[in-house]
Amino acid sequence: MHSEKSTPTASAAVPADIHQSIGMLTRQLHDSLNGLGLTDKVRGWAGELPDAKSRLSYIAKLTGEAAEKVLNRVDQAKSQQDHIAAETRRISALIVKDPVAAVAKGHVMNFLTDVEASTKQTDDHLTEIMMAQDFHDLTGQVIAKVVNLAANIETQLIQLLIQTAPADAPVKVAAAATATTSAPTPSLSGPAVNPEGNPDVVTGQSEVDDLLASLGF
Amino acid sequence: MANELRFLVVDDFSTMRRIVRNLLKESGFTEADEAEDGVVALQKLRNSNFDFVVSDINMPNMNGFQLLSEIKKDEKLKHIPVLMVTAEARKEDIVMAAQQGAAGYIVKPFTKATLEDKVNLILTKMGLK
Repeated sequence: MHSEKSTPTASAAVPADIHQSIGMLTRQLHDSLNGLGLTDKVRGWAGELPDAKSRLSYIAKLTGEAAEKVLNRVDQAKSQQDHIAAETRRISALIVKDPVAAVAKGHVMNFLTDVEASTKQTDDHLTEIMMAQDFHDLTGQVIAKVVNLAANIETQLIQLLIQTAPADAPVKVAAAATATTSAPTPSLSGPAVNPEGNPDVVTGQSEVDDLLASLGF
Repeated sequence: MANELRFLVVDDFSTMRRIVRNLLKESGFTEADEAEDGVVALQKLRNSNFDFVVSDINMPNMNGFQLLSEIKKDEKLKHIPVLMVTAEARKEDIVMAAQQGAAGYIVKPFTKATLEDKVNLILTKMGLK
């Protein structure tokens, strides 16, 4: 039976080859990055990736909160609807049984007051459900930033690929690179993902109002 | 009179435009139109009559700061109050908006009460309410 184990001579030779290859690749990568002026950019990616992680966490947090808020409001509204439906059946039965007594004893008036209050509460729930949809705007802006980061990294990697490709490499690599080189870079910062402890951003509307008041507005 | 005022809601997210329009409607302001960026907003402002602009900042083609600047440069439009409603929470952006002539600034996410308060405050200051 043939053994997969290498002889001592072979095992010493193979790692040396691999080590040499890795060394060459590393040197080539290093030289290419330097040649392209990408070392700073790679450092930049390292800094941006944790930011991308916190942005994605922000999206998860916002969508989770929105779903929770909507479900809570729906639960409350349904419970109120059930109450009004039951009350309607009860008052209907009272009116059928003795219409004069139903009015005279105040059952009908109490029911109408109940309905009015309930419709107001239902309207509040619907407004809150509508407001919860603002996550679409906020997460959309954050997603655009993460997509922009990914596109930027992709562009730089393609440039690196072209720089390091053998002379006879397919021309289509260059074409692919050309198609993805101009990722837009938004100058605005978008939603404050981690506003706590950051003196440059406000954490809520009251801080906006204070800042504007300090400016005389 | 205030309820007859015509609003232009500018935001690149249709969801947010609907939310703001619905909130304005709930506050009694039923006349409102929409624009998805500053370019479309400026066209609508120049081709029609509006009394109030509620604008986002971070938008494609022409952002809210550029729109604000164009409105304030235009003799026929500069009297229109512009309320910024945006996720941009940097203090320098808030200061810049104020210096460029914004009538108010709201950071997203916001509440119905905040929008209502700011709109009414601006209308009162302008003598429109």
